[in-house]
Amino acid sequence: MTIDANTIRHLSEASVSVELQTEDMTLNIGPQHPSTHGVLRLVARVDGERCFDVAPVIGYMHRGYEKLSEVRTYPQITTIVNRIDWVSGYANEVPFIVAAEKLMELEVPERAQYIRLILTEMARISSHLVFNASYPLELGAATPLFFALRERERVLDLLESVTGGRFHPNFNRIGGVKPAYGSGSNTRKQPQDLPAGFFAETRDAMDKVLEAVDQLEDLVAGNEIILARTRGVGILPPEVAAAYGVSGPNLRASGVAFDLRKTQGYLPYDRFDFDVITAENGDCWDRWYVRLAEIRESVKIVQQAVDSIPSGDLQAKVPKVIKVPKGETYVRAENPKGEMGYYLVSDGGGGPYRLKIRSASFSNISILPWILEGILVPDIIAVMGSLDFVLGDVDR
Amino acid sequence: MSSSPSETATHPLQEFADRVAEAVGGTAEIQFDTVKVRLAPENWVQAHVTARDQLDLVFFSWLSAIDWANEVAAGDTLNEEVEERIELMTALSDLTDGNLVVLSTDLPTANPAIPSLVGVYAGANWHEREAYEMFGIDFEGHPNLIHLYLPDSFVGNPLRKSFPLLSREVKPWPGTVDVEAMPESSRSDEPSTENPDA
Repeated sequence: MTIDANTIRHLSEASVSVELQTEDMTLNIGPQHPSTHGVLRLVARVDGERCFDVAPVIGYMHRGYEKLSEVRTYPQITTIVNRIDWVSGYANEVPFIVAAEKLMELEVPERAQYIRLILTEMARISSHLVFNASYPLELGAATPLFFALRERERVLDLLESVTGGRFHPNFNRIGGVKPAYGSGSNTRKQPQDLPAGFFAETRDAMDKVLEAVDQLEDLVAGNEIILARTRGVGILPPEVAAAYGVSGPNLRASGVAFDLRKTQGYLPYDRFDFDVITAENGDCWDRWYVRLAEIRESVKIVQQAVDSIPSGDLQAKVPKVIKVPKGETYVRAENPKGEMGYYLVSDGGGGPYRLKIRSASFSNISILPWILEGILVPDIIAVMGSLDFVLGDVDR
Repeated sequence: MSSSPSETATHPLQEFADRVAEAVGGTAEIQFDTVKVRLAPENWVQAHVTARDQLDLVFFSWLSAIDWANEVAAGDTLNEEVEERIELMTALSDLTDGNLVVLSTDLPTANPAIPSLVGVYAGANWHEREAYEMFGIDFEGHPNLIHLYLPDSFVGNPLRKSFPLLSREVKPWPGTVDVEAMPESSRSDEPSTENPDA
């Protein structure tokens, strides 16, 4: 068949003369969407395949923890803060407990601090493994999920063996960690320590996690589709990230070597050798890479801590009814998702006068209107997934 | 504010606190390793510009408020009477040494208003919306001052101390005892062996 040039010209002229109706469409994404780890709604103006003026609508999971804290006692609040970022529940407790201990001027026994540190790093490994499971899945690669969740289960089993809980350990006590009492006539009075065989199992599990991290890297880093969908997509410059308060792996992926574990001293991290992982470009790929590589660093910390944990008490001497002296302090910690902090105002009573909860995901997703501006609709999932947020941590 | 032992000796953060206070034109206090600089409301926006541009405090951590009130509807009342006010606070940090400063100013409890920081730190947008709905603070010049968490029709400012907590109104807690006593026996004074926290 030959193409008649005249016909083509005729057609193209005709199409120019017709007034095309180009109207923007408003697209509602959510409130339910599998890639959001909670309930989030996005309202976007879509022009063809590009979206503009993205407005996240949050609050579907708002539970009012700051108000609830004002009518609760300090030991009760650890139960609440566990549920802020439930993917790493243990890590949420630590800065709150440290803030209360700071006002009480308590010296926490070394062993308790080491146990807190080991469990915090386990929470970080487990949180980053969830990201490494779900992010490739959101991009269409199902296999890494099984590798990552298998290892996460190993870590959660260890957490459970110590604390009794997988997601909400509620294991920290003001002055230390929870001593376990047995029910036998002898063990009732002797607080139990870590479960038998914990160190051997931890060493074993950490070796296996390292192996799995290598496997995950092979699986994902060699996948051309994932590379094509993440390289150069959703670039976040460091100065924009800082102005929005984006913290944690998302900030380090933009090239800022800032880690509160190195600067704050809320747990004895200065005794361990580990690197702050950064990347250069701040795109989705870098955010994936930083979280993968941070698992290796956390494994390094756990291995060193297990080898050097001192013996001693699990709790400082604290009164049975806890009253925190008058004062104000802000304690922040490097949680898996970024900076988590508590501004604690006490008036000398059994509960706080005011507790401001600074959660990482809230600031991390406040960047969404900026980072999604003019992006392709299919890239929304790639960018949102790479920010690794939990809606419980956004809404509080 | 109460004094803490850390204030008597020279605190490692004292030099940083003095430097910030001088640059932004406020007064510094250190409580339990937290540097707070008190400002006049007129200096609010300018102090943040100075902190960002001259002190390298580029990281906007959070913005929130405290309702200092003598009458509270939920929770414990203060032991001493305070001057009723809304204390507005922001936390700014550098991204090198981990130094953090809390900038704070006082607003009247009735109709608190202050210029918005969105032009200085873009991240203030959501935090100010949260403070707007939770405390009723009007941020002048905010581009989109609408509710963040709560439904549009919600009335009241939940984190104000005058806002009651409904569940506590319906059933006060902890009542007389956690578990109601059996009718024939009064509550035993012996400590329970079942629950060491009770």
